[in-house]
Amino acid sequence: MTVADVSQFRAWIADTSAMLTEQAEHLTDLDRAIGDGDHGTNMARGFAACAALPDADGEGIDAYLKKVGMTLVSQVGGASGPLYGTFFLRFAAPLAGATSVGPTEVAQALRAGVDGVVARGKAEVGDKTMYDALAPAVRAFDGAASGGADLAGCLEAAAVAAAGGRDSTEPLVARKGRASYLGERSAGHLDPGATSATMLLESAARSLG
Amino acid sequence: MISLVVVSHSHALAEAAVTLAMEMAPPDGAPHVGIAAGLDERTIGTDAAAVAEAISAADEASGGEGVVVLLDLGSAVLSAEMALELVDPEVVGRVVLSPAPLVEGLVAAVVAAAAGLDAAAVAREAESGLGAKRTHLGGEEVRTEALPGQLTADEPWPHAVELPVVAEHGLHARPAARLVARVADVAPGTEVRVRNLTVGRGPVDALSLSGVATLDAQQGHVLLAEARGPLAEDALEGLVRLAEEGFGDLPGGTGDQLAVASAPVALVDEPGVAGSGLEAAVGPVVRTAAELDLPDIPVEDTGTEHRRWMEAVHSAVARLGELAATTRGRLGAGAAEVFEAHAALLRDPALTAAVERRLGTGLGALRAWQQVVEEAAARFEGLADPYQRERAQDVRSVGDRVLRILAGLEDPDDLGEGILVVDELDPALAISLDARAVRGVITLRGGATGHGVLVAAARGVPVLTGAERLQGVATGTVVAFDARSGRLEVDPPAEVLAEFERLLERRGEARRRAMVAAHDPAVTTDGVAVPVRANVTSVGTARLAAEAGAEGCGLVRTEALFGQHRQAPTVAEQARAFASIAEALAPHPVTLRTWDVGGDKPLPFIPSREEANPFLGVRGIRAFRTDRTLLVDQLEAACRAAQEHRLQVMFPMVTTREDVELGLEALDEAVRRTGTPRPAGLRVGIMVEVPAAALRVGDLARGLDFVSIGSNDLSQYVLAAERGSAAVGPWADPLEPAVLQMVRDVCQALDGSLSVSVCGSMAADPDVAGLLVGLGAAELSASPASVAAVKERLRAGSLADYRALADAALGCGSAREVRALLEARAVSALPAGGTAR
Repeated sequence: MTVADVSQFRAWIADTSAMLTEQAEHLTDLDRAIGDGDHGTNMARGFAACAALPDADGEGIDAYLKKVGMTLVSQVGGASGPLYGTFFLRFAAPLAGATSVGPTEVAQALRAGVDGVVARGKAEVGDKTMYDALAPAVRAFDGAASGGADLAGCLEAAAVAAAGGRDSTEPLVARKGRASYLGERSAGHLDPGATSATMLLESAARSLG
Repeated sequence: MISLVVVSHSHALAEAAVTLAMEMAPPDGAPHVGIAAGLDERTIGTDAAAVAEAISAADEASGGEGVVVLLDLGSAVLSAEMALELVDPEVVGRVVLSPAPLVEGLVAAVVAAAAGLDAAAVAREAESGLGAKRTHLGGEEVRTEALPGQLTADEPWPHAVELPVVAEHGLHARPAARLVARVADVAPGTEVRVRNLTVGRGPVDALSLSGVATLDAQQGHVLLAEARGPLAEDALEGLVRLAEEGFGDLPGGTGDQLAVASAPVALVDEPGVAGSGLEAAVGPVVRTAAELDLPDIPVEDTGTEHRRWMEAVHSAVARLGELAATTRGRLGAGAAEVFEAHAALLRDPALTAAVERRLGTGLGALRAWQQVVEEAAARFEGLADPYQRERAQDVRSVGDRVLRILAGLEDPDDLGEGILVVDELDPALAISLDARAVRGVITLRGGATGHGVLVAAARGVPVLTGAERLQGVATGTVVAFDARSGRLEVDPPAEVLAEFERLLERRGEARRRAMVAAHDPAVTTDGVAVPVRANVTSVGTARLAAEAGAEGCGLVRTEALFGQHRQAPTVAEQARAFASIAEALAPHPVTLRTWDVGGDKPLPFIPSREEANPFLGVRGIRAFRTDRTLLVDQLEAACRAAQEHRLQVMFPMVTTREDVELGLEALDEAVRRTGTPRPAGLRVGIMVEVPAAALRVGDLARGLDFVSIGSNDLSQYVLAAERGSAAVGPWADPLEPAVLQMVRDVCQALDGSLSVSVCGSMAADPDVAGLLVGLGAAELSASPASVAAVKERLRAGSLADYRALADAALGCGSAREVRALLEARAVSALPAGGTAR
């Protein structure tokens, strides 16, 4: 499939919500090792609220995703709220007015969303944050798109790259967020934010493609 | 009153913090404090939407005066930043997110807001909320935001000294560079760190210029320097000596800004060095290479990029050394220090470390340096002191130099001929530009006191600052400007160009004539010499005045001389400044007016209260009726300087004989303090500016040596019309016959027993100068710029002519008639073919 409409974006959010609920304990464990141990419950709560957003008739993709963003901002609670919230608000902007989108549009949206995360969190690659998963994902998506892949193929490439980025966080010492207070002791653990970001993209590959 | 918002993960924490802080607020004047904390009252978390709501409500409660947001940590910061994207953009401009620690910051902010401070000031108070606790606990470092060159404070180091900051601009870039240089002179192995005890900043590595400068050390602050290592004691001893010299920045010292501004470059006879000195210019726009977009240079491996950067720094330092040497020859050591400070910035270990960190992440040398420079400049711009904020220009300037080298651009030696338009004027460019080709400089940004602007002005290059509207004007477009009036014409029509040509011609002619006769005395055609002196406010203007031909100084505005001081200058400091002014104008006399303060011109170190009618309030000598300590200190400084120099003193705003006695008693006390007799040459006088003093001048002047009429104040008191108030403009003309009558009455009452001088703006008007002499004034004191013109006009007539003119003026019915009379004379007095003023 090469294009997606608003129902597929709803499916993406529902699928992400299901996955986060299932993996909440895993995420919380990761976070307990290097943070304050609330990432799983926070993310599950936020996305559950998004999945429960009422279906508005004739709603455009961008309007829906902006609602998702604002819901995350208000419901997640930790730093992930503004970060994922910004991701969706910025992701939505380039899609204004679109009813169905293909690889080109999603590439733009994904880049805008990830740029928003960087602007908000001021993270760089190697800081042991969600950006470590998102940065390679954007590059892989763009690479696949310029090679002529369809939306499914692009998202698949992005999800695989995100997983690689997530795994690369294990040996790193955290430089951002609560985990940075641990210094060297943060090494040896996967970053929970990179893990949830990978889940979000894996879910996109399943639902949007 | 501004409002506050508290953002916290925990609702309970926020509530408790607010309760604690509100105990500090007066019950009837507490600020609005909004809370956005917790996802609900029990769930830990932050919600950007709730923060946005709280900010909007707080802004409304403040009536649009502003909001300061205090936050705990982590997502509170992200949520607050995000909230700013959700509120009305107009409101965002009034919101400050404070990096202060929550509880200490909130307490300080509540107090500051209740005191009526604005948002920026409240945020500063909040940030320094840690100071008291830190000082109490012996400097345990708890800053969350690291300063450049920041060190962690462990146990005290074995050697320590306190260094008071006495120079008026505090420890800005150049004195900071001297401190760093002094430490760098000590052999390696000895470490020195410095902290600002007064505001609780630091410690920072004393080898880090950007670290030392960001201690925000201002006049009156105390620094603590600690050292360890083999030569620790030597290092500290060097710093103590440097601190005693105000880190080389005391008035009259080598770093005096005004010394830079007034360096006598007009006298340098080297082609391309001196500008036109006309303060106006016409020509096509030219630009520097630095204004170009920097190319994207392929990034190579870290080692290569590091080498590239080191080579660029090396070559920039070498060029700065050359510039310092040339400048020392042309403009003196004070101006040359600009380049030394730039070179010190390039050796700063904190900046070096920041660049290396970025190179390590794979960034190229050019972009790494660009980012580090931008950050450092932003840090200076974030400081409280406006003078220090301008030092961001130094950072950008030296940053540009290295960038140009990294980008492979030529040094902008050949700019073409015309008007140079730059964003800000780089000091290195200001000194190295060829004044034959560059007829004038226009800056888009940057103040009139930037190093570059001062240097260019000292060279006589016409400079217009802050002309933002030239931003998009194409290179080659003809522009014309006049810095005196601030007029700027872009692509002007032929008649405007012709107008500018005439202006330049007129100024050039006036300047040539003034230069020729400036140093000749003003003698009337019947042989009466009238000394024309200058009013000065600084050592720099005294030098300018001397160059302009002033025969001494009829008025030193001492309150302006020390107007930037936050604390009263010491006796030694004042004596030094007075001596420097006297030296600049020797062998002529210099008249010091004692502190002239009051409700209309407050000084931070002399208490004054707000008054309904400040001009009728506690002004001038009236301020010392209850406590005359500061007056005696100043007179002691005058006595000490008068032992070597030709000085006289006068008291302002004298109304009654008791005021005169107060001044004389204070002088006696000052003389006693010096332990030597009153210096023989020290003449004493009063200002006559209050009608009561004018009417009783014979009584008041008993036992004195001279009187000086302050024509500005005398006019406003005789006419009961506040000067500077446009509404009473029709009544405020000093040429009103009533004012002239009073001047004549004063002169006649003294009848030659004492000399009468006039030192207000009337004396600076060449048309009026002769009239004042005709009324009986024996001396005039004008602004330095008008001295030459006043002298020239006085030479045109005889004392008999001026007396006849005075009689005619006193026979006029109004100021307008007097003005018409003067104009008629001015035209007839012109030599044939001469040029009007």
